[in-house]
Order: sequence, then C-alpha cells, then structure tokens
Amino acid sequence: MLENFSFRTIIEYLPLLGEGFVATLWLSIVSFAGALAVGIILCAMNLQHSQVLKLPAKMYIDAIRATPLLAQLYFLYFGLPRLGMVLPELFVGILALSLNSGAYIAEIIRAGILSISRGQVEAGVASGMTYAQRMRLVILPQAIRVTIPPLLGQAIVLVKDSALLSLISVSELTRAGQLLASDRFMPAEGFITTAACYLLLYYGLKSLAVLSARWLGVRPIGSRI
Amino acid sequence: MIEFRGVNKWFGALHVLKDITLSVEPREVVVVCGPSGSGKSTLIRCINGLETIKDGRLVVDGQRLGDRATNMTELRTEIGFVFQSFNLYPHKTALENVTLAPIHVRKIQRTEAESAGREMLAKVGLAEKFNAYPAELSGGQQQRVAIARCLCMRPKIMLFDEPTSALDPEMISEVLDVMVGVAEEGMTMMVVTHEMGFARKVAQRVVFMDEGAVVETGTPEEFFSDPKTDRSRAFLSKILRH
Repeated sequence: MLENFSFRTIIEYLPLLGEGFVATLWLSIVSFAGALAVGIILCAMNLQHSQVLKLPAKMYIDAIRATPLLAQLYFLYFGLPRLGMVLPELFVGILALSLNSGAYIAEIIRAGILSISRGQVEAGVASGMTYAQRMRLVILPQAIRVTIPPLLGQAIVLVKDSALLSLISVSELTRAGQLLASDRFMPAEGFITTAACYLLLYYGLKSLAVLSARWLGVRPIGSRI
Repeated sequence: MIEFRGVNKWFGALHVLKDITLSVEPREVVVVCGPSGSGKSTLIRCINGLETIKDGRLVVDGQRLGDRATNMTELRTEIGFVFQSFNLYPHKTALENVTLAPIHVRKIQRTEAESAGREMLAKVGLAEKFNAYPAELSGGQQQRVAIARCLCMRPKIMLFDEPTSALDPEMISEVLDVMVGVAEEGMTMMVVTHEMGFARKVAQRVVFMDEGAVVETGTPEEFFSDPKTDRSRAFLSKILRH
C-alpha cells in the first residue's frame, strides 16, 4: 500500500498545506477569542436572577448545543445574505465558530463559578464586600483556575470544528487537503497529511494544557474542607 | 447592640425561628447552645443578614435590618463572622486573607493594612505563617487566621458559628484561647458553641434554644449547674455524659 503513497506530491503541495495550516491556526485563535467574549457575556447573563437576561441566554445556549455546527454554519452562510448582509466567507466562518464555541464556553465558565463553594461567597458577604468585589477578588480568581483546563479542551474542539469551514470554501487546512486530493486524485495523501497537521495542533494545545495545569498546581488551592 | 424583638423566620413550611426576643449589650459575651437543628446558627446568621427575617424587629448597632435606610454592606463591616468551616480564601496567603477586606472594603492603605495584619496574625500565634496558604495550615491554624481576618476589620461585634465543631480535639483549645482573648478585650460577642469551659470562663449569659425558640437564658453558672427546663436538662445530660 505504501509504495503507492506519494510523498513527492505531499512535498509538492507543502506550500499550500502550510498556508492552510497557518490559516487554521490564526482563524482558530481569532474564533477562540471571539468565543471567549461570547461565552463571558452569555455566562454573565445566565447567572443573573432576572429572567429578562437569563432566559435569552439559556435559550441561545440550548439552541446552539442542540443543533449541528454545520447547520449553524449554513444558517449564517445562506441566511445572512438574505438579510442583506453579504460578508466574506472567512468572516462568516469565524463568526459561526465564535457563536458556537461561545455557548459551550459559557457553560464551562458557569460550572467554574458554581464550583466555588457557597462558603466563599458568604465569607465575602460577611466582610462587607459588594457583589462586584466578591466576583473580582474571591470568586473569579478561583474559578479561572478550574476553568482553564476545560477551556483548552474546548479550544481543541474548536480547532477540529474549523475543518467545517472548508465547506463554505474558506482556505484553511482541510480545504488545502481537499485541493490536493481532487487535483491529483490522491485522497489518502491529502487527508492523512491534513490529519497529521491537526494532530500537531492538538499536541501543541495539549502541552499548553499540561503546562497550565502544572503552573496552576504550583500554588496550593483548595482548603481542607 | 443587638436586639431581637418577636423575630420569626420560616424555611418553606419549617418555622426555624419562633418569636425570638433577645438582646445583647455592648461588651457582652453570649453563648448560644442547643440541639442541632434548633435554629442557633440561623439566629446569628440573621444578625449580619446572611439570612433574612420574615417578621419582627432586629436592630443591630442602632440600625434596623430590612429597613430601606440600612446599608447592609456597611453594617457588615462592623460585624465579624467566624464560620464553622473557616471559609478562608484558598488562593490567598494568610496575610492576604486578613488584609483583603481592610484594603478593598475599609480602603486602608496597603502598607498600613499589612502591618496591622502581621500584628494580628502574630497575636493569634501565627507569626511564622504570614505567607502560608490555607491548604498548608492545620484546621486550628486556619480558624485562627479566620478570626484574625475578622479582627483586622476592627468590628464592633463578633459572631461565631460553631467555630470549633470542625476541628480535631487537640486543636480546639488553641482556637478557644484566641476567642477568650478577644472576649477579655471587651468585644461584643455571640458564640454558637457547646464548649462549656469557654462559656463558664467568659460568657455573661447562656441562651438555650430548641426547635427554633429560646427556651432558657441564664448565667453559665445557673444554666450548667441548675437548668430550669426539662429540655435543657435533657440536652445537658446528653452533652455531659461522654
């Protein structure tokens, strides 16, 4: 089987694949930043007592989690032009990833905040802190620590999800693999190389997760109770 | 300093505080005891608004709770609260724990707050532990940091909610010693505890609660040696037997 495998073609397409790799990398970073912003806003809405903000956030999160990313992508890609908004594919792609991942990130952050014990809130309340002071000084610094590892997990998911952008012809990694595969009728070369690149990105993020866990582990956290 | 008059509170259908009338004078130390579920923790949690009352009148430091004019956040800075489970901030060192509220709530200069914090930690016997995180401290040490954290706010009232119940037996006395010191300096204190040694030593009054009501009050001497009601006798015989 391997004798048919053309490393030469891969090398020939390396510049295109490299461009795709870089594109996937930066569009993932931009989307993740967008997703963080969406997630923080959604989570803040979701933690309010008032249903006016809470309900829309909950409905949005449910809608995103209940439907496939591909459907959301097409919804934006074909839907926005109908509303008169013709945007570049790349922009639509980043928007879709941000909106999608944001819903998951909102839940990750919420879980992080809720994991902080009631006693921490009460200690802040009892010492006369306002809601904002409690959040800033007591809750968030602790919540961020428990949130970083699952957030990096979500970043890994986002990188893999970005492959779907090839379907709205954004030039990224999977798109580059597709071009190789269809130009030369070499699907194995195209997609295995692409897969290897994703693996590379995965290990990059994973080592970041390990490093962050080690860094977060340096300072002791969690009292005896 | 603290005045309950006809205070009632329900948790759903459960009547947890029944017509409580009780007052605590400045510099007085009052010990609250009673069987678990009798409402003693709820009682002192009402004083700093961790719980809200349904009806009746509760006046703390001249301010009526639940009044529009009463600023709870401000009132709480005058009331120290020590929890059964310490509730230290695990991401902060001992010194940061005791200076956080003075700096951010009392708006005291950092350097000033830190020197006061060091002094206070030294006073509770933790001069060596300024930079230790809560997880690196024993239960007794954590509770002493928690007491120092309250004292650094220079409160007018200190409330203790079973401060020694989560501790190993050999650590109870180090915490009680600190509390005795606080009492002897003239702090107004309400302490939920079953530590009778502590009550005898510093309390002016013991309040016995059962099923949400104050059943009996008296000096520690009267209460422990000559309880007036069947319920307090039954309770004391249980805690004294072992």
